[in-house]
Amino acid sequence: MSVWLNSLWKKLFGPPAGSAPADPAPAPPVEAGASPAILDLDIAPHDPLAAYFQSAPHPVEIDKLNFDSPALRQLKANGTRLVVPLVSQGELIGLINLGPRRSEQDYSADDRGLLSNLATQAAPAVRVAQLVRQQQLEAQERERMEQELRVARLIQQTLLPRELPQLAGWNLSAYYQPARAVGGDFYDFIRLEDGRLVLIIGDVTDKGVPAALVMATTRSILRSGAQRWASPGQVLQYANDMLVGDIPPKMFVTCLYALLDPASGNLVYANAGHDLPYRRHRDGVAEMRAIGMPLGLLPGMVYDEQTVQLEPGDSVLLYSDGLVEAHNPQREMFGFPRLQACLTQHPGGAGLVDYLLAERAGFVGPDWDQEDDTALVILQREAAADDGLRPLASFDWPSEPGNERLAMEKVAAVVRAAVDLPPARLERLKTAVAEATMNAMEHGHKYQPELTVHFEVRASATRLAVQITDHGGQPMPRAQTPDLDAKLAGQQSPRGWGLFLIEKMVDELNVTTDGQHHTVELVMHIPEAAHGHQDA
Amino acid sequence: MSKPNLRLSVRPLGGGCCAIDLFGEVTAFAENSLMDAYTQATGAGATTLLLNFSGLEYMNSSGIGLLVTLLIRANRHTPRQRLLAVGLSEHYRQIFELTRLNEAIGIYATEAEALAA
Repeated sequence: MSVWLNSLWKKLFGPPAGSAPADPAPAPPVEAGASPAILDLDIAPHDPLAAYFQSAPHPVEIDKLNFDSPALRQLKANGTRLVVPLVSQGELIGLINLGPRRSEQDYSADDRGLLSNLATQAAPAVRVAQLVRQQQLEAQERERMEQELRVARLIQQTLLPRELPQLAGWNLSAYYQPARAVGGDFYDFIRLEDGRLVLIIGDVTDKGVPAALVMATTRSILRSGAQRWASPGQVLQYANDMLVGDIPPKMFVTCLYALLDPASGNLVYANAGHDLPYRRHRDGVAEMRAIGMPLGLLPGMVYDEQTVQLEPGDSVLLYSDGLVEAHNPQREMFGFPRLQACLTQHPGGAGLVDYLLAERAGFVGPDWDQEDDTALVILQREAAADDGLRPLASFDWPSEPGNERLAMEKVAAVVRAAVDLPPARLERLKTAVAEATMNAMEHGHKYQPELTVHFEVRASATRLAVQITDHGGQPMPRAQTPDLDAKLAGQQSPRGWGLFLIEKMVDELNVTTDGQHHTVELVMHIPEAAHGHQDA
Repeated sequence: MSKPNLRLSVRPLGGGCCAIDLFGEVTAFAENSLMDAYTQATGAGATTLLLNFSGLEYMNSSGIGLLVTLLIRANRHTPRQRLLAVGLSEHYRQIFELTRLNEAIGIYATEAEALAA
């Protein structure tokens, strides 16, 4: 009987991995008294034999069965005489198959009684063994998945920047938290030889090792593209063309690519379908829009390129969807409006990471299971070293001819009341304010009275700053440097003294343009001891 | 250019010299009245034009442009006319220096000094 039990175990616990299913070919004729070959029997669910065995938990003589069943044919061909179904809790879990008795006699009633008892006792034990086996397989599968996650995490963490680039005048911070099922989030910094810095954040759809591999590939492509092209749009176009042929079906990569000139604060960026970054400016928080398809979806894509001028104190947040797509127990999403509100409330910079994570933690509650990776990159232009500037006044003036003098007097009144600026220097500031205001009204607004010029007056102990902003968004056309001799000789227009005067009147002149606003900042240094200080 | 905020008076001083007193703002709006005053003084036979800025409240870059225009006309006049300036505040005096207008327009503290020069 040992041979048959062997067959039973094999049946119950499955063949070794990779073995072929039961061979349906008829077994060779069985000689009386010989041990029949081991039978791998698979009973299809719709095979009437299965229902028969399940309903008949007692020894069954195979020869007496006569209905159309592939499994029955196999049993007969194999020389099986008697089958004892093993049924546990109404479920057929196995069979004890017996060939002819060695004595060539039929099985007796005693034999059957013994077998029936054996089956009744064996069935629950076999069931337990099956469950143990199943758990072992599941544990192995879990271990395999854990192993895969470890590999994915390793790939990802090896390729994330180990340290942040150091940029004078700039603060950079980054945060990365993988979810349990590691996604394909990544960020990267590339320092170019000319001193500019590339900032990248991206997200590969899908999770695990496949996502990590695509992330690694994308990162390499972007790194090589960054060395070849100064244009973010061009780099994304290249990356898309490289990825589109090789990326697995249904996978793609969203990516934001930005190029910073640390000297000027100029940030050029392009976006391949990634969440829009935010810029925090003293006037408010705005999305940085640029249009483009995710990488790897369609060939021949082109990418919109935009520019933003980052001023001292400005912050830019790059992030992945793990931040905005976190859900609270009510299944509400953290969402963009909440993120934008957070950015409005926080002054920006490195502390913003902890602030955003705390806000998200408060939103999702203590039992939150992180659904997706979270990646954050925050870039902040440091406020000017002596920028303890406190606001003194902020007002707007309509663009009507002659109004520059009124604005000038208003600024002068504010300054006189708050700052100890020597009178001669105040006169210089007034002239500069009037000239800058005229430029704003004339060149920025074409003297449309409904467009107002915005004034911000701020001061610290050592500096006085007046910002004059128009909505023209275009820098003033730079006139020729005025030359009196040329003017008297008729070679230059008698006019064109404005910008020249501004430059000569103030200690610092800062001009910034973001495509929507044009701001002229006039700075006067305040002498330490105002009295006795002679104006140069 | 509808609201000139400048009052001018033309005051012959004798000896081919004529004073033009400016009260208020020298801006783009002042163009007509300043050129009128110039024509009036020239019509009175002035070869030296003495611009009196002691009543000047405000002058901007457009006003400086007007002075350059006035200089061109005086230079081209036959006989060539001389431009002098008196009564400039320290601030506008500096602006004359920065723009080098002081090289083409003689600057004096008072009328008496200008006439004596």
